[in-house]
Amino acid sequence: MRVFWTAVALLAALLLQTALTQIAPGHARILDPFLIVLVYCGLTGGEMYGMLAGAAAGWIQDIHFGGSVLGLSGLTKILIGFSVGISSTRFHLVEAAARALVLFVATAADALIYTQLAAVFDVAAYEITPVGILVRALVNAVVGVAAYEILERRGRLGMGVRRRA
Amino acid sequence: MASVIETRKSRLLLLGLVLAHLVAISKQVERGGQSLLGQGLFALVTPLQAVITGTIRGVSGGWAGYVDLRRVYEQNRSLQERVRVLESHLQARQEQAQEAERLREMLQLKKELPLGVLAAEVIVREGAPWARTITLDKGSADGVRLNAPVISATGVVGRVIAVGPHASRVQLILDGQAGVGVRIERSRVTGILVGQTGMLTAVIGDLVMKYVPSLADVVVGDVAVTSGLDHLYPAGLVVGRVRSAARGNGLFREILVTPSAQFNTLEEVLVVRTPIPDDTMTQGVR
Repeated sequence: MRVFWTAVALLAALLLQTALTQIAPGHARILDPFLIVLVYCGLTGGEMYGMLAGAAAGWIQDIHFGGSVLGLSGLTKILIGFSVGISSTRFHLVEAAARALVLFVATAADALIYTQLAAVFDVAAYEITPVGILVRALVNAVVGVAAYEILERRGRLGMGVRRRA
Repeated sequence: MASVIETRKSRLLLLGLVLAHLVAISKQVERGGQSLLGQGLFALVTPLQAVITGTIRGVSGGWAGYVDLRRVYEQNRSLQERVRVLESHLQARQEQAQEAERLREMLQLKKELPLGVLAAEVIVREGAPWARTITLDKGSADGVRLNAPVISATGVVGRVIAVGPHASRVQLILDGQAGVGVRIERSRVTGILVGQTGMLTAVIGDLVMKYVPSLADVVVGDVAVTSGLDHLYPAGLVVGRVRSAARGNGLFREILVTPSAQFNTLEEVLVVRTPIPDDTMTQGVR
């Protein structure tokens, strides 16, 4: 079931990212819905789940929105997913503020790792400034935490209904 | 123990995935182009992407169309309102132009008449159905006197039968009780023109020229002018034109005269103020 909902979430992320590239072509990268999905997977499922979700998310992103070389986003998101998963087993990352911090750091790390990997392999990557990373990290943190809250509130409501039944 | 195994497994998986990715990326970079895997995956997902893009474009296009339609609708309403306003302005301008034309005609007549006249506006067109009257906006305070003749640019209208301080009532020559002494301009035959609307009819009809001998020379088309013999109307004013001239059964002919004054469109008239002079009028009035 978890795999199914992860696939649904990744599909929703794909739709959202595609919509953003159509609606605001110059600002589509300001939000990374795939990262939000994989961080949630890492936070709730540990490093294995986070890593596999990261691989899937990264590859979808590579295929749809990447350049001529596939795998850069995949590799980046695997590392991010694994790191978030490890962190969730070491620290108590349930509060919204903690999750926002994780999203913030994960977004910044994602951008840095990606650009560094691109540099290592001599692949032309998108240019991103420190301010751009900061803005993207903030946007992801805010949107991600809001999405997690909505998701978990609905989950709690559903659980409550089932218990009453 | 299970946790340790789990952790080790995940790290091994991580290592494997990272190595696999590094190899895959390296291979692609070495080839200097898109890999077979990349091409395959790209071909696989492109239709999906096209569907998503098409949907988004359709939705955004539909929305843009709806917004445009709303804008056009608002614009249309605004333009219709503006057209209505402009039409009313145009109508007012046309009305003013017509009024100016009428006033010009009246002014011309006023200049040509050897009488003192006063311009007045018709404020009430009809009295009772059996009495053809109009009410003017000038009265005794303006110099209007009882029985004063009232004329228009096209012909005789009637006479003042009631005077108030600031208004007066005029009996039209159409009224059944009205009478005008007239003369056929061509043959100088005289008679009296009376109205036919003494009965309950709203139709503006012809006038009857009475007391014209059966042997008198009157033909259709003759112009009837005031004779001045009635001591009401100054002589020489055009009253109408003969429409029919029958022989009749008795001593007199049956003559119908169509009035030349446009009673159904009367708006401004001239009231004669000065006493009527001798029966001499300028040719220009005719």
